[in-house]
Amino acid sequence: MKIKRLDMFQIITSPAVIFVFLLFILMLSVYLYNALPAFFREGLDVYFKNTWQASEIPSKEYYGLAAAIWGTLYSSIIGVLIALPISVAYSIFVVDYAPKKLKNVFIIISDMMAGLPTIIYGIWGAFILVPFLQKYIMIPLYKNLSFIPIFSYPPTTGYSYFSAGVLLGIMITPFASAIIREAYQMVPFTYREAAISLGLTRYEATKILLGYIKPAIVSGMILAFGRSVGETVAVSLVIGNSFNLSVSLFAPGYTISSLIANQFGNAYIYRHMLPVLYAGGLALFIIGLIVNLIGIYLLRRWQKNVRI
Amino acid sequence: MSGYKIRKGKDIVFIIVITILTFLGILPLFHIIATVFINGIPIIANKGISFLTNTLSNGGIGPAIVGTFILIFLSSLIGLPVALLVGIYAYEYPESKIGRATKTLLQIMLEFPTILVGVFVMSMIAIPMETYSAIAGAFALAIILMPYVAVYTQEAMREILFTYREASFGLGLSRVKVIFRILVPLSKRGILTGVLIGLAKVAGETAPLLFTVGGLYESYPTSIMKPVGAIPLLIYTLVQSPSKADHMMAWGASLILLLIFLLIFIPIRLKLKEVRL
Amino acid sequence: MREYAIETKDLKIYYGKKKVIKGINLRIPKNTIFAIMGPSGCGKSTLLRSFNRLLELNKDAKIEGEVLIFGKNIYGENVDPISIRREVGMVFQYPNPFPHLTIYDNIAIGLKLNNLVKSKEEMDKRVRWALEKASLWDEVKDRLHEYPASLSGGQKQRLVIARALALKPKILLMDEPTANIDPVGTKNIEKLLFELKKDYTIVLVTHEPAQAARTSDYVAFLYLGKLIEVGPTKYIFEKPKNELTEKYLTGSLV
Repeated sequence: MKIKRLDMFQIITSPAVIFVFLLFILMLSVYLYNALPAFFREGLDVYFKNTWQASEIPSKEYYGLAAAIWGTLYSSIIGVLIALPISVAYSIFVVDYAPKKLKNVFIIISDMMAGLPTIIYGIWGAFILVPFLQKYIMIPLYKNLSFIPIFSYPPTTGYSYFSAGVLLGIMITPFASAIIREAYQMVPFTYREAAISLGLTRYEATKILLGYIKPAIVSGMILAFGRSVGETVAVSLVIGNSFNLSVSLFAPGYTISSLIANQFGNAYIYRHMLPVLYAGGLALFIIGLIVNLIGIYLLRRWQKNVRI
Repeated sequence: MSGYKIRKGKDIVFIIVITILTFLGILPLFHIIATVFINGIPIIANKGISFLTNTLSNGGIGPAIVGTFILIFLSSLIGLPVALLVGIYAYEYPESKIGRATKTLLQIMLEFPTILVGVFVMSMIAIPMETYSAIAGAFALAIILMPYVAVYTQEAMREILFTYREASFGLGLSRVKVIFRILVPLSKRGILTGVLIGLAKVAGETAPLLFTVGGLYESYPTSIMKPVGAIPLLIYTLVQSPSKADHMMAWGASLILLLIFLLIFIPIRLKLKEVRL
Repeated sequence: MREYAIETKDLKIYYGKKKVIKGINLRIPKNTIFAIMGPSGCGKSTLLRSFNRLLELNKDAKIEGEVLIFGKNIYGENVDPISIRREVGMVFQYPNPFPHLTIYDNIAIGLKLNNLVKSKEEMDKRVRWALEKASLWDEVKDRLHEYPASLSGGQKQRLVIARALALKPKILLMDEPTANIDPVGTKNIEKLLFELKKDYTIVLVTHEPAQAARTSDYVAFLYLGKLIEVGPTKYIFEKPKNELTEKYLTGSLV
């Protein structure tokens, strides 16, 4: 009798759950399936070569995603580097220093930034942030330090890895800080008491507490990285959409997502472009999947170890 | 004693740095909102209500607004039932292997690149249908909406005190009745919040619409099987155009989008304790 | 053979590997107030929940032995735990009327979802009957469509009693029902119990021996999962046979 009742609930809810799992697997399969022609034609070179020769003559077509993959990783790394100090500082500020009434205000602001439509970040990035960065940061740096490789590309338009990285950093900060703030808040009060009772300054005490939540910070940044590799519209409006493979911050580039956004529309004209774009999508899929799984795993493991 | 002074000095520097970084962190939001208002208001003030009702060549974004609402409505229809069921399942079986795998899958889908969802739906729906359509866009948005609502539903139900569970079962009711007729209604506030937050999010999404809805700005939509426009998509198109006039339209549309977002987001957020996007 | 309302035969309850109730034989006569007392953590609440199979909400709980409700083993082969719970109602330690339902609906919901009532008139009658039985009708008759939040603790608890009574159970299980109620509310509820025992069998788990002394006909003393002593209240309180019982009653047992 008990088994019969249980079945009713599972009968109603399981299909939805199974559907979602199947959907996910279907998505992965679609990318795999559609990318196969590219693998057959070019092999794994499709990921490692930087070239994009679209042509009316199919046999002349040759594509490589290296630039896009590089751009994705590079811009996201810049984003994470920017987001790290800010989200840590933000969390410390909100938990330790913000007056009680304002705490919630800061959290709401952070949540708003997390939920703000990315196209708004995009338009602001394209019309406001890029000119600003170009004028006040990129050009001065280029003028004076162009002998250093990362500053060596002339910032003619401002659309670059750097701009994309900064914009991404701004966009993923609220996300990372939510994770870090939660972890920081969860530090058992006894640790704080102990640190202060030892006569440590705020700075020293905070350093210790940060050490305590280091795994959470790491997971937070990994998950933020996972977020930022998937970002499309905002990045595509500020990165310049060029096939470069450069370490220079001010060079324009591509990310996988902005490449897809840009090229998919006319991919139908050419015979062999489409599978390559799917191959890019597949790479993005897998990068995102692995990064997020690692981040989730580390975070959960830390949470389990910390909760008594 | 000078050692102490150095430590104290470091402390002060620390606090200053923290404060500066924090304000650097929130500055963009204010700057963005301010910029959108400053650039958007002149356009709207100039054209007045016609900005909201006219078609694009007449200087309005009416079809885009309608398109956005159609998409929100359709994607809710498609995505909410699945989301609720998945969320309820995750609530009821938190420990089982499938339950935990479900939670992990939801977390992954929460952060899944939305462009990939769009291309997927394009290949599954738009291409077989041989046309862009509202329904394709709605499916893409539904896939993105689903994990948000599922996670919020699960969290809202997790907050229910165990004693209410006991009381419900104590009335001699089956699990189905206890959950769907008592516990879900009991958490309807939290669930509703999740739904609204999810909708606010998908209303602002662009990438999933790129290859699914096609865009429709010169006339109002008449069929969900045909292309439709959306505000974020319109902005994206306008920003990339070389024309200054188009850029101004983009700012105006951004202001409208921002207002829609704020109007949904702020009231909910003020009512709720903690929100994780 | 006299039929008891509840009878347990060598009842053992485990939480995982831990044995929480260690072989209990209890006989609860009909239409009495039967108190179960003991220090916290001794398993009273667990024992109580084995009487209406609410224990199963906890996945780690395991039961051995028999629990007979009016002669029928509720852990038998083909027994449906859900129908048991309609026969054996429960009142909880924290007054827990459903906050999202009106006073009226709190009582109506059990009736509606169990399909016990066919028409609106019948529902109105049943709701009123249940509230009268719980001595709450006069206080809420004009605000049936308000929410329980506007009630006092004692009133909330009587609402919970009414909610349970509406299903017309034969037995009422009460898990420390006045633990979170003010003294006036407590007195009202204890008074109510005397009324109710005419029609129901009441099993009252209490943290306060004095309450058992005030209200019950029989009392059982439970300690660390074992039944130490049981009998008519007068005898247990005046001349306990077991040393542990005496220690508990004089307050030298925690």
